Amino acid sequence: MASSSQFKQLEKLGNGTYATVYKGLNKTTGVYVALKEVKLDSEEGTPSTAIREISLMKELRHDNIVRLYDVIHTENKLTLVFEFMDNDLKKYMDSRTVGNAPQGLETNLVKYFEWQLLRGVAFCHENRILHRDLKPQNLLINNKGQLKLGDFGLARAYGIPVNTFSSEVVTLWYRAPDVLMGSRTYSTSIDIWSCGCILAEMITGKPLFPGSNDEEQLNMIFETMGTPTERTWPGVSTLPKYNAQFKQHLPKDLRAILQSQTQGTIDPVVMDLLYALLQLNPDSRITAGQALNHSWFAEYYQ
Amino acid sequence: MLDKECEEVSKEEEEIKPTKNVVYKAITTETSPVEEEENNRKKTDTIAEIPEIRLPSDFRKCSRTDLVIVISRMLSFLIYLNDTAPDQESKELTRFHSRVPPVISVYNYLLRLTRYSSLEPAVLISAVYYIDLLAGVYPAFSLNSLTVHRFLLTATSVASKGLCDAFCTNTHYAKVGGVQCSELHILENEFLQRVNYRILPRDHNIEICKQEHQIDSFVTPHYRVQHGTNDGFNVLSTYYRKIIELVGLYDSSPDKTKKANYVLEHSKSSTIESVPRKRQLEEFAEQQHEPKQRDNHKKPI
Repeated sequence: MASSSQFKQLEKLGNGTYATVYKGLNKTTGVYVALKEVKLDSEEGTPSTAIREISLMKELRHDNIVRLYDVIHTENKLTLVFEFMDNDLKKYMDSRTVGNAPQGLETNLVKYFEWQLLRGVAFCHENRILHRDLKPQNLLINNKGQLKLGDFGLARAYGIPVNTFSSEVVTLWYRAPDVLMGSRTYSTSIDIWSCGCILAEMITGKPLFPGSNDEEQLNMIFETMGTPTERTWPGVSTLPKYNAQFKQHLPKDLRAILQSQTQGTIDPVVMDLLYALLQLNPDSRITAGQALNHSWFAEYYQ
Repeated sequence: MLDKECEEVSKEEEEIKPTKNVVYKAITTETSPVEEEENNRKKTDTIAEIPEIRLPSDFRKCSRTDLVIVISRMLSFLIYLNDTAPDQESKELTRFHSRVPPVISVYNYLLRLTRYSSLEPAVLISAVYYIDLLAGVYPAFSLNSLTVHRFLLTATSVASKGLCDAFCTNTHYAKVGGVQCSELHILENEFLQRVNYRILPRDHNIEICKQEHQIDSFVTPHYRVQHGTNDGFNVLSTYYRKIIELVGLYDSSPDKTKKANYVLEHSKSSTIESVPRKRQLEEFAEQQHEPKQRDNHKKPI
């Protein structure tokens, strides 16, 4: 495997959840890389996030997933060598804010990014892997307009049956209602909800459901999408944190809400896809594969 | 070291939870040669008297008590094969070696890890899978009476951290397993590097891992759905079935923890099939030795 002397460490790119990321230069090939340095903890040893990220990302080779090239072991740290990406979607959207007003992305770019996001997610799901932390910060982009999934520290192989499926997954704003209500039997649909939130955020430039705690998050979702009932979502009342006293909301017109936050006209076709991604009932949510066949993406069909 | 620390932890537990320790002693596996002989006689005389326990065909539904017993049988059987294999002496030492075989039996050790580190069925079966994986890519390693304890501790903690959402710190695993935490860090690192982080139970892992070591780079297989469901569950299910097929019968393994014949639900009683089973065991033993010999021959090149 590679040694650390092969890379020249350049500027710091950021602090990840459990690591520091630097830009690096491969001295032999002249190619830029991202070096993710993981400290080995005296209590934990190799952090489980690093074990997961390496073991899962090694298996995933796809245009829309950041490549893990190598792992370098040194005395008290582990360095993951990733494909270098120029930016992430969060910073990119922030950079387009005019004054205090967030700007959505151009329709064509929204479509191209969402298409690539769904392709990456579909590939993970085909390989029986859940990402479980999709959000703009974890979607890396480069100057060619490519978008790739990164940060697999919370991901897991879902084919391997273990009893404890944590409901403490996915950053709050992108967390599905079933997970918020304590479901531990979630599957690929958990990532699809996040893809819906991200799509809406790219259109308006603002997060769709920016809650500050679990309760507020659920309420925000229900305010827009309507409070679920046994009729609209059979089984919802059996979820651990379901509350019969949930404030009752009727579904609102999501298109009108989004339209009020952006200048461009929102195509009804994208709304059809968005509703399919943001189904409250996880069983009714579209799959990544189905979403790629949606007519909004017709121009990408081969 | 391992025994001393285990004892120490046991003593602590004795003070805190005396009831648990009673259970512990009640299921000790150590038998004297006389007892063993007697057991053997009983076995041949009254084979029909060994109770049969049916295990669910889905390992997720298997009780951990039974799973720990069958896995201990499997490990003891492998240890027996490897301890008596002719090339043992010449083998180099690995990080997993103890100087002398720890006194705590395989069963008691695995029970201890399972109980105090809450190991899930998938983790227990993954540990058995990791024996093949590690031995496949690292020929110096074999599971024997000197390596089994450190191997089990490493394999179960890595599987818990890599596959489960609920897991403990290495400090905890080390304490339960009776080694220094710093040693567990080293063992963990050694294991992960040897198997190149291929800890998800997948078909073809050993092949791919060997390739990776040869070309000194990552190999990313192009799994797709059309290749079948290589989702980890398939591998673990196969291991579960194989373990019960091989050591389900009471007399198939040196481990005599529980006098019972285990069979899978929806399968015929295995006592009738003892002849084909014997052949299977022999074949199994051959398979265990064959790859190693091949590897040894390869070395001079």
